[in-house]
Amino acid sequence: MKIISFLSHYRHGADILERIKTTKLGIVFVGNGIYHVGVSENGKPSPLLDKKDVSFYALIDDIETRGFKIEGIDKRVKPVSYEDLVDLIFNEYEKVIWL
Amino acid sequence: MKKKIAFVIKSLPYNRETSRLGLTHAIASQSVDVYLDEGDMIEPVVCFIGDGVLNCLKDQQCMKHYNNTSMETHIKNALLVDLQVYICKEDIERFGLTKDDIVTDAQEIGADKIAEIVPFDKIQGIMEEVDHLQFF
Repeated sequence: MKIISFLSHYRHGADILERIKTTKLGIVFVGNGIYHVGVSENGKPSPLLDKKDVSFYALIDDIETRGFKIEGIDKRVKPVSYEDLVDLIFNEYEKVIWL
Repeated sequence: MKKKIAFVIKSLPYNRETSRLGLTHAIASQSVDVYLDEGDMIEPVVCFIGDGVLNCLKDQQCMKHYNNTSMETHIKNALLVDLQVYICKEDIERFGLTKDDIVTDAQEIGADKIAEIVPFDKIQGIMEEVDHLQFF
């Protein structure tokens, strides 16, 4: 199962991603999920970004809305526009979930 | 009689209206007196703690992307009406941020008030000192 998951919260939702079995997983940080890629709490990046075999994306509009710079987000994460997201959903994944 | 109210903002901005409501209530408390008994005065103070300090990041571009005022603008409006604003130093540091990342003044719109970055002990003292506490 190829899943792309939107993650729009900072404090919850990530645990679900640990339990779902996928053959391909993409995580799109949107809304307050952006804090996973924008801040390093206690000097450590979000542990979610250590997850192996996952493609990470973050919505540019939501990065900038929250006062972060695109060039300042975690390097494991690819900044994407709404148009990029449409391409990802239609071309690379089978199912979309929102956490 | 003067009543002190602390509006303590602990929520992240944007996904929900919680933090915006807290600040709006504080500004309203500073600006109008509709819910007071005659002769009473309100002295509001705003404290950002925990995740709430992320409301105070500079360069929020909410208007550009979603045509909505940013929390940064809202905080500047609070300073413009001379609200006392405190931001927790330990929580800023926990997120790897510095004073330069945080909104502390609004001189460009004519505000004289400065938001203060203070240790949590100071905020603890404020919470003990006020008559009412409201968490958002």
